[in-house]
Amino acid sequence: MLTSAFYFIAFVTVFFAVMVIAAKNPVHSVLYLVLTFFGISANYIFILDAPFVGIVNIIVYAGAIMVLFLFVIMLMNLNAEAEHRKSNAFLIVGAFAGGSLLLIVVDAIRKVDWKSVSGQESSGGAIGSIKVLGKVLYTDYILPFEVASVLFLVAIVGAVILARKEKLPLTVGQISHPVSES
Amino acid sequence: MNLLISLTALGVVAMFGGILKFRSMVMPLSVLGLIGASLLGVYAWNTNQSFLNDMMRMDNYAIAFSIVCMAGTLLTILFFHFFHSENEIHYAEAVALMLFAVAGCAVMVSFTNLLMLFLGIEILSLSLYVLAGLRKKDLLSNESSLKYFLMGAFSTGFLLFGIALLYGATGSFATTQIAYQLGIAGMNGMAAMGLLLLMIGLLFKVAAVPFQFWTPDVYQGAPTIVTAFMATVGKVAAFAAFLRLFQLCFAPSKEGYQLVIGTVAAITMLAGNIMAIYQSSTKRMLAYSSIAHAGYMLIAVMTLNASSNGSILFYSVAYTLASISSFLIVMVVQQNRNNDTADDFNGLGKTNPWIAFALAVSMLSLSGIPATAGFFGKFYVFSSAVSDGFIWVVAVAVISSFISIYYYFRPVIAAYSKQTHDPVMTMPAGTQALLILLSLLTILLGILPGFIAGII
Repeated sequence: MLTSAFYFIAFVTVFFAVMVIAAKNPVHSVLYLVLTFFGISANYIFILDAPFVGIVNIIVYAGAIMVLFLFVIMLMNLNAEAEHRKSNAFLIVGAFAGGSLLLIVVDAIRKVDWKSVSGQESSGGAIGSIKVLGKVLYTDYILPFEVASVLFLVAIVGAVILARKEKLPLTVGQISHPVSES
Repeated sequence: MNLLISLTALGVVAMFGGILKFRSMVMPLSVLGLIGASLLGVYAWNTNQSFLNDMMRMDNYAIAFSIVCMAGTLLTILFFHFFHSENEIHYAEAVALMLFAVAGCAVMVSFTNLLMLFLGIEILSLSLYVLAGLRKKDLLSNESSLKYFLMGAFSTGFLLFGIALLYGATGSFATTQIAYQLGIAGMNGMAAMGLLLLMIGLLFKVAAVPFQFWTPDVYQGAPTIVTAFMATVGKVAAFAAFLRLFQLCFAPSKEGYQLVIGTVAAITMLAGNIMAIYQSSTKRMLAYSSIAHAGYMLIAVMTLNASSNGSILFYSVAYTLASISSFLIVMVVQQNRNNDTADDFNGLGKTNPWIAFALAVSMLSLSGIPATAGFFGKFYVFSSAVSDGFIWVVAVAVISSFISIYYYFRPVIAAYSKQTHDPVMTMPAGTQALLILLSLLTILLGILPGFIAGII
């Protein structure tokens, strides 16, 4: 039962992922990406017994980030005609490099003897529950949790710096003369 | 731990300095705070304490590199204060970001858990992305910030994927546990893949060839003081984290990847030095030279023996001293002569003899001439590689060092043997004294390297 459910969800997820790059319209791409994230979240929630990760995945990725994506695409008014044609050499080299990496990763993971890889037994099926996670986060992982707050503080300060208005002339480089703003 | 807390608190104080209008206190408070944090580090020397479920360990390695990073930050903040008015719009925030960045460095050099490594790298990088774009109305600064951000985010993806695969192979983020599991089961395919991806991510961060392409544009476009900060503090912390990760996790299986790192080091040294020759802008030349120096430091990561820690520490100190002062001199020249080609250094020996002296010392140190710190930096790294039998890497390193003499000497020769009609260069008070102090330290370490060489 669980296996067939996994295959169904995985098929749907991969199908939508393919549609993301197959769709001509960028807005459609983003919407397919949202569906892909929902598929991944379904895997977390129903198959891997990790509801917290699943919910966070929906809130953060399918919710916040994808809305941002949509806004950017709509504001910049991208569409199929405006897309640059990449040269074929780029495509071939990119496909070769990416494909090689994929081959190596797949081969490396295929060769793993999973029985010898220890330390991954789940502790009684409740490993992904919010209760266990909260406990671990505030005891074992309290230091990374606190250090992450410094990271967010840096992000906030950076956002404030970048967003504040400056009344200076536009220049190119520090040593050339100011150029007129077009 | 106290060190990390005080650095973060200092960053918060500096940040509020901008909001609550006590900007004139920001610089003195930061300097005092950094000195205080260094003293806390010295106080914790030899305690070798690990914190909070073994997330980080303040061993001597961590303390030494934290102090190097803090000293680099201290110098950067001083120079930043000299060249920028307190009333500039982002003065306090920029200082705060530098302090947060050095807190990230402290995390990076003291981690014993891969989560902490990741968080440290992200804190440092995120601060640098913003600092690179500090001149918001300058198109090159914008380009620098955006390129750095995109490339940095991309490399973080590699790093994170590597950590995930390593977790899959060993079932833990803790370095002790990873080393233990790898010791029992050996390097299986997934762990090796994780190692490879981690290596790619870190090579991106230290700007080694073939992951160096972002460096010249980013270093050139960023404000020069920020470039000095990136090229010294950022690079030293990245190398300390790189070496620490490999010492803690992968040292027993080093035969498997030494050839890879050695090849990368050789290509990095050659490519960095040869491309540096063709640069007309001195700032861009220094960017390529920092790529080349990443190659030299990679040799210590490759050998990974008992003397690696000490040799990379000495190299970091020598490189930091020489790089900060050379970037600062470039900045002075840029501001006075409106450009930074070798010709703009003409006659510097006549007009500003002390600046020319500082230039000569830092360039000699960067190229590794004896009686400067840079010589012993290279000497320690090369000799430990030779004793492990990596003659070919050292041969490449020596050849590329000779190549580097050509472009390092170009501004020095211009400064001393060419004439100029330009007036004496002016600079903010204190700059010259600090530059001379840095040169004297470089010479001191070149004569008495024992101060630093043997302490870790």
